[in-house]
Amino acid sequence: MFFKIAVRNIFAYSKRSIITVLLLSCTTALLVFSTAYMDGSHGRMIQSSVEIYPGYVQITHKGFRDNPSLENLIFDAGKVRASLKDFPGIAVLTPRFESFVLFSSEEKAVGGMFTGIDPEKEMHVSRLAASLKQGSYLTSNDDAQVYMGRELAKRLKVGVGDQVTFVGTGADYSFAADTLTVKGIFQTGLFDFDSRASFVAKPYFDRMMAAKNIATHFIVQPADPSQAEALAAAIGQRLGPEYESASWQQTMAGLVQAMRVDSIFGYITLGIIFIVIFFVVMIFTLLVVYARVREIGILRAVGTGPGQIFSMLLLESVLLGLVSVVLGGLIGGSFAYYFHINPIVFTSFEEQFKQYGLAMTAMPTDFAPLIILRDMAVMFVLSVSATLYPIFKVNAFKPIEAIHHV
Amino acid sequence: MFRTICRIAWASLARRLSRSVLVVVMISMSLWGLLLMEGIYDGMTEQMISNAIRSDSGQLSLFAPGFREDPGLNRLIMQDGEITELLAGDPRVKSFVRRLRQDGLAATAHYSRGVMIYGVDLATEKRQGRLDTYLTQGEYSFGEKKRGAIIGARLAEKLKVKIGRKLIVSAQNSEQEVSAVALTISGIVRTNNMGLDESAVFIDMDKARELFMTPAGVSQIIVILQAEKDIPAVQNTLGQHFPTLQILRWDELYPALMQGRVMMNGFNMVMSLLIFGVAGLGIFGVMLVSVLERLREFGIMLAIGTSFAQVRGIIFTESFILGFSGFVAGSLLGGATLFYFYRHGLDLTIFGEGLEEFGMDVITYAVIRTSYFTTAFIAVMLATFVSVLFPLRLLKKSNPIEAINKV
Repeated sequence: MFFKIAVRNIFAYSKRSIITVLLLSCTTALLVFSTAYMDGSHGRMIQSSVEIYPGYVQITHKGFRDNPSLENLIFDAGKVRASLKDFPGIAVLTPRFESFVLFSSEEKAVGGMFTGIDPEKEMHVSRLAASLKQGSYLTSNDDAQVYMGRELAKRLKVGVGDQVTFVGTGADYSFAADTLTVKGIFQTGLFDFDSRASFVAKPYFDRMMAAKNIATHFIVQPADPSQAEALAAAIGQRLGPEYESASWQQTMAGLVQAMRVDSIFGYITLGIIFIVIFFVVMIFTLLVVYARVREIGILRAVGTGPGQIFSMLLLESVLLGLVSVVLGGLIGGSFAYYFHINPIVFTSFEEQFKQYGLAMTAMPTDFAPLIILRDMAVMFVLSVSATLYPIFKVNAFKPIEAIHHV
Repeated sequence: MFRTICRIAWASLARRLSRSVLVVVMISMSLWGLLLMEGIYDGMTEQMISNAIRSDSGQLSLFAPGFREDPGLNRLIMQDGEITELLAGDPRVKSFVRRLRQDGLAATAHYSRGVMIYGVDLATEKRQGRLDTYLTQGEYSFGEKKRGAIIGARLAEKLKVKIGRKLIVSAQNSEQEVSAVALTISGIVRTNNMGLDESAVFIDMDKARELFMTPAGVSQIIVILQAEKDIPAVQNTLGQHFPTLQILRWDELYPALMQGRVMMNGFNMVMSLLIFGVAGLGIFGVMLVSVLERLREFGIMLAIGTSFAQVRGIIFTESFILGFSGFVAGSLLGGATLFYFYRHGLDLTIFGEGLEEFGMDVITYAVIRTSYFTTAFIAVMLATFVSVLFPLRLLKKSNPIEAINKV
């Protein structure tokens, strides 16, 4: 019976109902969409930063991440490879040796990163090969051929086919120097990376830098990237205390936290809007409930208990809240879904993205039904609690007072 | 007459006290949130801009032609004597510094990294951008023999070096030969200007001249002015005197920061619109109901000779009182909170690592601008004005006789 009365009242005070539903569903849609956008863009930023070069899981010798010196290298790369052979969950395992050298061309000398990679396997763990701009990517047989970032090549004023020399320190602290030919030039879009990084095939690197069977780290491409954290832990177990295995959540902790900070500010901003909406819903409920003070007084006079009136009014706001939240969830959800399939493109903000080290401008939203339900629940609670004060207030009237209320 | 109108308006508001209070609370809460958000977010943006200006770009930077596209020791500003004279004599200029810079490599026994070597004069740098305040470790000095180096914090982390450790810095000199010098790390700076923190090695200007074999000339002259509004004029003056040089404003050197500022302004605008739009809806609801439920009252007033203008005056006054009280309460509350964060700053140390990633300071000092309050005032007044237009039209259309007879 309450239900029937509540529904009747909602239709009887249709203006209030429409405004409340409109406001609440727009807010719900805004919340659902903003969350989807924030989560989506953050996920995308992290994903692209991880996939360009750092990789999902990194294996290093103990202490290397805190102190990347030549004493903390992986001195037996073969052993690591052997003990992780057929390890479940690993799609690709590849070693890298990162070092810093001074490059000099005819005109310029520039410091840069000089890394030995396994070109075939590297293709599967990072976007290096896919970022090729000119010339061609490396193969394992390449001798004295270098694959370098576009900005680095620009600074050195070299192009494909040109020669560049490097001076550096080998794994045994020996002096290493040679002349390289530029085989290919890549551009990931990460300015900092493109202006610093260069790669050569590991067999050549090992000879030049006395690094046979030595690596600074291994990169693991998980079969399922979302399981990177668990995989890193399992690998750590297998390899024992001599090694450290870290997932991107650890190696890129700063970025992960940066995204969290961004979310927090996003929620604070939304929170301010919610405060206003909360009051507006409260005001509208107060107005409509006050318009019915006489009606409520009469109900009380004919024997309806305050509890029943409370339930009746509450049921109204619950129904209104439910309808709005579902409506808003559907609207927000469908926007989230649409932009999940058709990412939003920000070409004009490329500068700013670059500053944050991000190499893309298309941002898909995240379509996660569970998160949408969570947002809907939050809005529902908010909308119902906004009506509590007016309901209590009107219920506090004595029946006689209420009937005479003007 | 006006007093009567005010008294009637006040009495009707007082009669529906909880409703009126709720509207005032709503307006003040939204204003409070909005002010806080604007002040803090603007504080963040301005701090990033100020860090870039203080640590690197100044408000204006002068470069030799072609240096920006292809930095090198063969493209130096050679007429720095004349420029110094001109800048020193210009009352609009607050301070300026000269820097010499070159790409290089910094190496410890274990590790090496590409860096940007800056030859600087510490005393003028201190006056210019208070470079010394960015010091996190060590001292603001290159030592007696000028064999010290002050390096960026991120670089120090990546090289795993501490104060007092040796650093070999090598670079190509003006003869195209690679030359090197051994330095001791005397200080570490965190400017939150990511480029500098990642790669800067500051060394003594004379030491740099020796290392690069450049007895004369500088790479960049950085100017800070007394007032921001003088930037275009001084840029113009310098351009006329030195037509060959590249003279760039900070926003030309850091376009992303300017974009950030523009984006923040746009964002604040959208937020204000949204919030005052919704708040306006709240006022509208209250005014609509209060006019509708008093149709009879207004009918009687009109019947006994009150003019419609006077009734309109009452309704406007009511909504003005609501809006104005909300504005005053919200401004006081928001202004006080902002003032607190302006003095003490908002400390977000717990998110330090994340903020660093954005190149932001851990403590944000809020900005307070009069424009926050004036726009808010206009917005509140507009919202209160617009929200009574529809109720007034309804009142005008209704017939007083009918209204009186209505139960």
